[in-house]
Amino acid sequence: MRRVRPYRLARPSWCVPVIAYLLVFFVIPLIANLLRSRPVDAAIGGGPFFYYVKLLTDPYYAGVLLETTKVALITTFVCLLVGYPVAYFMVRFAGRWNALIVFCVVAPLLTSIIMRTFGWRVLLARRGVLNAWLLDWGLITRPFELADQPIAVYIGLVHVLVPFMVLSINAVLQGIDVQLEDSARVLGAGRLRTFWHVTLPLSVDGIATGCILVFVLTNGSFLTMLLLGGGRITTLSLLIYQQFSTTQDVGFAAAMGNVLMLVALLGFLLQFRLLRRRGVKP
Amino acid sequence: MSVRPHGGGNNTTAGAPVELADVSKSFGGVQVLKPLRLALVPGEMLALLGPSGCGKTTTLRLIAGFEAPDTGSIRVAGRDVTGLPPNKRGLGMVFQNYSLFPHMTVGENVAFGLRMRRTGRAEKARRVREMLATVRLDGYEDRLIHQLSGGQQQRIALARALATSPSVLLLDEPLGALDKNLRERMQFELRDIQRRLGITSILVTHDQEEALTMSDRVAVMAHGEVLQVGRPTEVYDRPLTRFVSEFLGTANIFAAVVTGANGPNRWSVALDAQPHAAGTVESPAALAPGQRVTLAVRPERLSLGPPTDGTVRATVRDVVFRGTYFAYELTASGQPQPVFAYTQLRQPVAADAAVGLSWEPGGAVILQDTA
Ligand SMILES: Nc1ncnc2c1ncn2[C@@H]1O[C@H](COP(=O)(O)OP(=O)(O)O)[C@@H](O)[C@H]1O
Ligand SMILES: [Mg+2]
Repeated sequence: MRRVRPYRLARPSWCVPVIAYLLVFFVIPLIANLLRSRPVDAAIGGGPFFYYVKLLTDPYYAGVLLETTKVALITTFVCLLVGYPVAYFMVRFAGRWNALIVFCVVAPLLTSIIMRTFGWRVLLARRGVLNAWLLDWGLITRPFELADQPIAVYIGLVHVLVPFMVLSINAVLQGIDVQLEDSARVLGAGRLRTFWHVTLPLSVDGIATGCILVFVLTNGSFLTMLLLGGGRITTLSLLIYQQFSTTQDVGFAAAMGNVLMLVALLGFLLQFRLLRRRGVKP
Repeated sequence: MSVRPHGGGNNTTAGAPVELADVSKSFGGVQVLKPLRLALVPGEMLALLGPSGCGKTTTLRLIAGFEAPDTGSIRVAGRDVTGLPPNKRGLGMVFQNYSLFPHMTVGENVAFGLRMRRTGRAEKARRVREMLATVRLDGYEDRLIHQLSGGQQQRIALARALATSPSVLLLDEPLGALDKNLRERMQFELRDIQRRLGITSILVTHDQEEALTMSDRVAVMAHGEVLQVGRPTEVYDRPLTRFVSEFLGTANIFAAVVTGANGPNRWSVALDAQPHAAGTVESPAALAPGQRVTLAVRPERLSLGPPTDGTVRATVRDVVFRGTYFAYELTASGQPQPVFAYTQLRQPVAADAAVGLSWEPGGAVILQDTA
């Protein structure tokens, strides 16, 4: 007897091209990278984890690792502080202006990173627009050097990464019924306590998603550090770039890349678990 | 069980529990509420009844403080609250879709208002137990919201609103999302709890049956205006306008002319459609012979009989058994709209039979508007 198969729009076989593509251009390079991170020259000694041990124990590299984490954490935190109010405003008050705000939020992503970054240099430089205004208004007497400073890196990073935060939180806030906030208000909660006890806990998913995204993306950026940091901020991804382009220490660069990869995977694992926990809800 | 409101409900203050004085509201240039006057009687359940979009929810949101009125003032328990935010008004509210906090347990939901008032832990737990007992969901403290059925969620929403002993309970279509059987059960239960606690309540609904069965008084609204306020029997039997008459149930509307007095507060009328058909109406206001009037007669007030002199001649079009009564659809010559008559027993008339319709003097009312 023929089994009647339920009608499905998509068939599992449709996934084959995607899987093949990912296999060739994603999985195989990753495995190759894993192999590459072993020292080629057995004479160095220290076994297959030589580069990893070096990365974690050498004070300089451990410092870079620490700085990478610091930059990612600060950027994530600033993005959250900047992004949450924007997302909240969009969902609760913007109404028909919503589309315009979405465009403004996404605009930095549509600009080439080189243009965007040099734009910031123009604004922040010693003879830049910002300094010119501050001088004109008499707020400062001597121009500040703002480019080639850590602050410039943070500004550049937040500028390009805040959309991910805004859109993640926006999506979750949209699902929160305003009437829940109204209910809290009638029950005696002021605006702040309504936010703290109702809106914030209900938007935790969006916050987590946004934070993980921004954290992982910060870890992966190096152009912003390169072009705006003036050598004052060295993160793992910048170091990888330098290892490749100057010292050509491919093995070490591969090891660092794998560490970054691990962090990214951990981030997505965390997010996955968060979603699964939520999935219990009908 | 005796659970009396305490705290928030300050019954010693003079004045109505809720009083709206000339409150009006516009959204974007459209007047949604015309200047509205409404005063509640302590302990009553007032139904705000009207078709969808007539401004019921807006009225409730003005009282709750989510919207600010353009004109007029709102007093709660004798205190002017017009400028106060919702959290300072001491009211309780139940929303149509329950609006329970999904990230909290049942107990935490019920305790939310008490927590906002910084009630002590022991008192809070006692009060939550008490409220859960009131809505007959004892021991549900640790359940999660999504584990509850619609009816249970409704009751938890009620318990949450009552936990802080609000001076007034606002109910915005509280049973709208429940299926018919459950809704009828909940109507009785809600009414019972409201009576037991003696809490002044406003029930918003577009369901006339719900308004009539549950409330002490009904305020009929249309197009942002309160058309008539009165006891359910009063608005049902003595509607002032055609709209009220038709919104509360089926009504047969006849244009007629007064022919003369016919006893105290009684007048004889002749129908425009059938001048030979005579009827009697009661009217507290004096009528002049020759005056044109519009009559409303409820279908259950019409009796079917043989087409004798003085009755309204009509032809039976259809009979439908509606469970507790038979509904006759008839056409009366000269009357463009069909006429409906409800009877308890099936009448010995066939389809297309000619019948005579008549009513007792109290069965017809004179409407204020013209036909
Ligand atoms: N915030 C608002 N902005 C604009 N129009 C509104 C708003 N709230 C209600 N309205 C309009 O006011 C009218 C009355 O609405 P509402 O009070 O919700 O009616 P009801 O509860 O009786 O169905 C509707 O036409 C609705 O579109
Ligand atoms: Mg409504």
